[in-house]
Amino acid sequence: MKRALLRLLAVIPVLLALSTIVFLAMRWIPGSPATSLAAGGNMNATAEEFTQSEERIRVALGLDQPLWKQYLTFLGDLVTLDFGTSFYGSNSVLKLVGEALPATIELTVAAMLIAILIGVVTGVIAAWKKDTVVDGAIRVGATVSFSLPWFALGILGVVVFGVVLGWLPIIGRLPNSLGYHPTTGFVLLDAILQNRPELVWPWVKHLILPATTLALSMAGFITRIVRTAVLEVLGDDFVRTARMKGLSESAVLRHHVLRNAALPIVTVLGLQFGALLGGSLITEMVFAYPGVGNLLVSAVHQRDYPIVQGAALAVAFLFVMVNVVVDLLYLVLDPRLRKVTA
Amino acid sequence: MTAVSDVSKTGEPAANGRVAGDEVLRVRDLHVTFDVRAGRLPAVAGVDLTLRRGEVLALVGESGSGKSALSMALVGLNRGPRTTITGSVEFNGMDLVRASDRELRKVRGNGIAVVFQDALAALNPLHRAGAQVAEMITTHRAVGKDAAWNRAIELFTDVGMADPHRAVRAYPHELSGGMRQRVMIALGLANNPDVLIADEPTTALDVTIQAQVLEVLKELQREHHTSIILITHDLGVVAEVADRIAVMYAGRIVEYGTRDQVLFDPQHPYTRGLLDVVPSLTGPVTGRLSAIPGSAVTGVERPPGCAFAPRCRLAGPECEQPVELRQRGGEQGHLDACTKEDHR
Ligand SMILES: Nc1ncnc2c1ncn2[C@@H]1O[C@H](COP(=O)(O)OP(=O)(O)OP(=O)(O)O)[C@@H](O)[C@H]1O
Ligand SMILES: [Mg+2]
Repeated sequence: MKRALLRLLAVIPVLLALSTIVFLAMRWIPGSPATSLAAGGNMNATAEEFTQSEERIRVALGLDQPLWKQYLTFLGDLVTLDFGTSFYGSNSVLKLVGEALPATIELTVAAMLIAILIGVVTGVIAAWKKDTVVDGAIRVGATVSFSLPWFALGILGVVVFGVVLGWLPIIGRLPNSLGYHPTTGFVLLDAILQNRPELVWPWVKHLILPATTLALSMAGFITRIVRTAVLEVLGDDFVRTARMKGLSESAVLRHHVLRNAALPIVTVLGLQFGALLGGSLITEMVFAYPGVGNLLVSAVHQRDYPIVQGAALAVAFLFVMVNVVVDLLYLVLDPRLRKVTA
Repeated sequence: MTAVSDVSKTGEPAANGRVAGDEVLRVRDLHVTFDVRAGRLPAVAGVDLTLRRGEVLALVGESGSGKSALSMALVGLNRGPRTTITGSVEFNGMDLVRASDRELRKVRGNGIAVVFQDALAALNPLHRAGAQVAEMITTHRAVGKDAAWNRAIELFTDVGMADPHRAVRAYPHELSGGMRQRVMIALGLANNPDVLIADEPTTALDVTIQAQVLEVLKELQREHHTSIILITHDLGVVAEVADRIAVMYAGRIVEYGTRDQVLFDPQHPYTRGLLDVVPSLTGPVTGRLSAIPGSAVTGVERPPGCAFAPRCRLAGPECEQPVELRQRGGEQGHLDACTKEDHR
């Protein structure tokens, strides 16, 4: 527990550095939110009116201040957990990011689960059937999965299953017609809380294409990790002890090999989660999925600084939380890491 | 335990009558070869061995002489795609070499159990000590989890655990080296096996703990009439607990006899080298086996005759002829595999 807390604390400087980089990067790239806001206001304005309007907006948003002053204000807000409001409209950053984040988490977790399912099953079989045709086939498959352009194939999936066959929806998260009003933002949870089981199937159908695309990009890697980890454990002495007991091979695998192999696998999965999170931000764009990735991209286009900063922080925070979860999972899996009690 | 299983454990002649009354295990012409890059490695190259009820047979020999390969092959623990095991191992009217994996699993941990050397590595780090013993019991006995757990506590008491109730709940890393080895022994004895194979059970322990663990082993062996195959490098251990000694070299047994025969009247030059005995020695033998000049034969190529000849001071042309283990210069029952008559 203490370890996890320490880790959480250690993350604060990282988040701070990230916010600073995002802060500077947004102000460094050309184009100002004041320009796009002024341009959006009145199409028939004269050049002079436009410049005046732009200047008013600059002052109103505080963008006329020197950079260091803006930065101090930004830091002050951050420390008091005031993430600000969007430059466009009155929505708070917390609300917009808070709505998008569950969608991203759902996509990432769904993809992770599919990738783990495929990766663990194939990896264990490959290790179990080491140096056989089955092992060879799985290893080739894993290598291929590694090198395929999955996002291109994702688009192929959209065309085949979405457009030609019409089996699966290709964009969005839930049809508007369902009238989903988030409580927690997590559809499955809300379906239970609001007693609306009719939400579940459309939600699953929307997840299948993006989550599978994302999962397949990672499954081959997990296969390899699992195969290596299982092979390593199979060579351990306690596996021989398990066989000495007269256990069946499947009991040896289930009771002795898998849980020990889980330790290195969990480490790698924790690290891979970052890549998967990055992948899901891109996948969101391919499938017009209303998560943090889409929020972030449109905010960058509009130079909506507070949203960009908030969304980036949210993604970083998610990443950190996963690491904490991995740490806790370790404690559950490995008694050697727990405090010595006996 | 039921009466039925008791009968099967008395070693009465089995239906086919192959194993005589007090013989528990009979090994005939056992070969174990491993396919390695260089070719086929004959780790065990024709071993005949008989284990009697309640006896402690010490298996000694240099590193790589095939002691582990032999003992693991008895219960097929080194079976695999790269291993070939031939010959026969008769146990309870069954040939364990020809037995299916399924049949063998019924013997493993039940009729024949193994105590491994490095208990820290040989125990599953993620399971409680008691659970590992209980698992062995429930695998072979139709008893509930609680009964198996209680039996584990009983066994932990038997092997001299300081605090059995706490020890069953401990994870291996929470126990000391000596305590872990006791867990290993408790595991070996969990189902009252006929044969216990102990592969260097005390090597990883310091001397005092070693003595305690050996004491436990000896006591339990006397009590349950378990036959033990004890693999060790430690002559002190051999002198203390062995009834018979088999000396292995390059996958073969080169000398076999009672403890006193082999320790006090070694026949084979290899055994003499190992013991490094001087003729006047009459006191108790102690210490590790001696190092013999030259290195052990471990390659895939083996000479047709005596494998020890290249390192033997006494070697002559006759040593190139195949040689078998039989009664030669020693007392009745003291066998060796050296054709030289003049060295004794
Ligand atoms: N699974 C295996 N695959 C290939 N070679 C093996 C295998 N197991 C043992 N060997 C080889 O067989 C020979 C005998 O090994 P074994 O482990 O039986 O020796 P040992 O007498 O037990 O030695 P030690 O005293 O060091 O334990 C060695 O040359 C070893 O390298
Ligand atoms: Mg060995």
